Amino acid sequence: MKKAAFSLLVFVTVAAAIGGSRLFPGAVDDWSDAEIATLRSLWIGSLPELPPDPGNAVANDADAARFGQALFFSKALSPSGAIACATCHRPELRFTDGMRKGRGVGESRRNTMSIVGSAYSPWQYWDGRRDSQWAQALSPIEDPAEHGGSREHAVRAVAADSDLRRQYEDIFGPLPDPGAADRIDTTFANLGKAIAAYERLIMPAPARFDAYVEAVLAGDRHRQQELFSIDERAGLHLFVGKAQCTQCHNGPLLTNHEFHNTGLLSLPGEVPDKGRALGVRQVLADPFNCLGRFSDAPPDACAELEFARSGFEVLGAFRTPSLRNLENTQPYMHKGQMFTLAEVLDHYNDAPPAMIGHNEAKPLGLSRTELRQLEAFLETLAAPLATPEALLGPPEN
Amino acid sequence: MIRWCAILVLGLAPTLAQPHGGVVEEEDLCVIKVNYLRGHFKIYQPLTSGHREYCEDLPDATESVFVMEYLHDSLSEAAVDFRIIRDVTGKGRFARWDDIQAIDDLDAATVFYQPPTVDPDVLTVIHDFDEEGDFIGVVTANVGGDGQVYRAVFPFEVGYTGLGFWPYILLLLLLVELLWLYMTGRLQRWWSGAALILVSLTFGGADAYANEWTSQRGIFTVHYESSLDPIEINRMHSWTLVVTRDNEPLEGADITVSGGMPEHDHGMPTRPRVTADLGGGRYRLDGMRFHMNGTWEVMLDITAGGSRDTVIITLVL
Repeated sequence: MKKAAFSLLVFVTVAAAIGGSRLFPGAVDDWSDAEIATLRSLWIGSLPELPPDPGNAVANDADAARFGQALFFSKALSPSGAIACATCHRPELRFTDGMRKGRGVGESRRNTMSIVGSAYSPWQYWDGRRDSQWAQALSPIEDPAEHGGSREHAVRAVAADSDLRRQYEDIFGPLPDPGAADRIDTTFANLGKAIAAYERLIMPAPARFDAYVEAVLAGDRHRQQELFSIDERAGLHLFVGKAQCTQCHNGPLLTNHEFHNTGLLSLPGEVPDKGRALGVRQVLADPFNCLGRFSDAPPDACAELEFARSGFEVLGAFRTPSLRNLENTQPYMHKGQMFTLAEVLDHYNDAPPAMIGHNEAKPLGLSRTELRQLEAFLETLAAPLATPEALLGPPEN
Repeated sequence: MIRWCAILVLGLAPTLAQPHGGVVEEEDLCVIKVNYLRGHFKIYQPLTSGHREYCEDLPDATESVFVMEYLHDSLSEAAVDFRIIRDVTGKGRFARWDDIQAIDDLDAATVFYQPPTVDPDVLTVIHDFDEEGDFIGVVTANVGGDGQVYRAVFPFEVGYTGLGFWPYILLLLLLVELLWLYMTGRLQRWWSGAALILVSLTFGGADAYANEWTSQRGIFTVHYESSLDPIEINRMHSWTLVVTRDNEPLEGADITVSGGMPEHDHGMPTRPRVTADLGGGRYRLDGMRFHMNGTWEVMLDITAGGSRDTVIITLVL
């Protein structure tokens, strides 16, 4: 008897699950309380206030942001006179470059990440080898494949440009004499802090997805159906459910800012990228990190660095990118391995074993239809930037 | 399938394993033995076979990525070099280090050489084979400063044609096994057992909210308070642990912390630790952060007064 009752229970549950999602189209508008809570957590309205950047005393300074904007678009920081931050971080491509790997004076090692919303991340780069926007901003200037310059050159370039020099001195005081090695480092760090003050202002605006969540929260079915097609609604159900996307793409920026190995194939001619396993060692050794002497943070404000995880578990792991930056940012993944969302979804559906380390994802068993629905949903995340137009190019005098 | 077959082959013919260092299949893992040091060994041909993993023989003369993940810490600190030579020993599968030492001009036979490098995580090597044939890989590890050298020698074939009839035999064995399980009723029992586990996982979570946790052998009891209540994902926070033994506050305990998500087979994103003994059996645990929704386990390894026991705190976020 017990057995029969159990079988019946299983049958009813399975039938309800299958029937609910497949047979009755109305069911794509039904959201459980738990799902509504998840939707609310993904909604841009849940985005907390911009977190402080304790290492950067000028993070919220408007003059520093204006100076940072000038540096961001200036090619003077590169000895070639050809490369600016904006060469790879192009505002019209959501601050990426549309290429597999970044291209400065040479080819960089990885795909260019978007800057949009990056002020919310405790780590920068795919491998988190920097722990603040300002420390990150310094790195390309000295990267032989990117700006191809040096801190000495950058400081000289600012000193040689009367406008940049005036802005710098208004904020940070007199520029050092050339040759004062330690002051050069401090000045160089200040340039990064100004760039970060600018980058903090680059934020995503609400997407159609956010309007849909608002309709769900208001219980307005008519509006829900007006905003989302059946495929998009079904895709969202998969996104927060069976497809397990919110395991990593969670929170209002649809990222947990953490490092995961998802078993990507290495690029032709390259050995597999060690990712976070190397990145964590680099960030701990970075003189410009939160605990370093160029940081304005008290040591107890550096918990992320202090408690960072290292070792085999983060081998081949890369930072989860924000899905709010999907539009115009292909190719995807840390080496730009994939050009379309369909490829990305197929990859997660298969979840192959990792070449190095361990793939955390498990095969999903999604059908072709379900993959198409997920893709339809992902496209509803497209949105403009919430940043004023005047900030999306070199500053006007 | 290839792996299963290889296991079977090695199981039947253990003489293929190198006594001092080589590549063998062990419990579904391809293992390289560099003397007593071991690594997880695999070879990929991403251009022609995508994610497929090979242990020794390779199907195509193409770009091949050799990966050696260290299972032994000494290898992480060792200077390891990697050499691939054409098999000029005439010994084929049975080539040993002695045979390689006997080669007159090793450099002439060498098709790839990576000088010694120290890598704490993994050794990765890429080589584009431009012809099919028999090759021998030699991994040399220089352990410590005392000049102690360990080697693994593994002959392999590029342009490996297949496994002959082994897959069919294995399939037949599998079918016979399934039939036997079905006839003896074992298959059905496993099935209902799996269903029961599923039900208990689904409905057994309610206890997780009772915030008092007893250690595995019943020695300690832990109660925790989180500075973030309710706990949210992606936010760094602290816990205060209240530890008791026989209903008395436990002073001076040594507590180490680990944790993770059993369903996803990974740990916490941070490395939390006890940063202060607050007295009265209270301990401050800093660096707590969870980065996914789902079931987490936080393991507290507690040592005090000569006793050691582990408390596993389960929480559902």
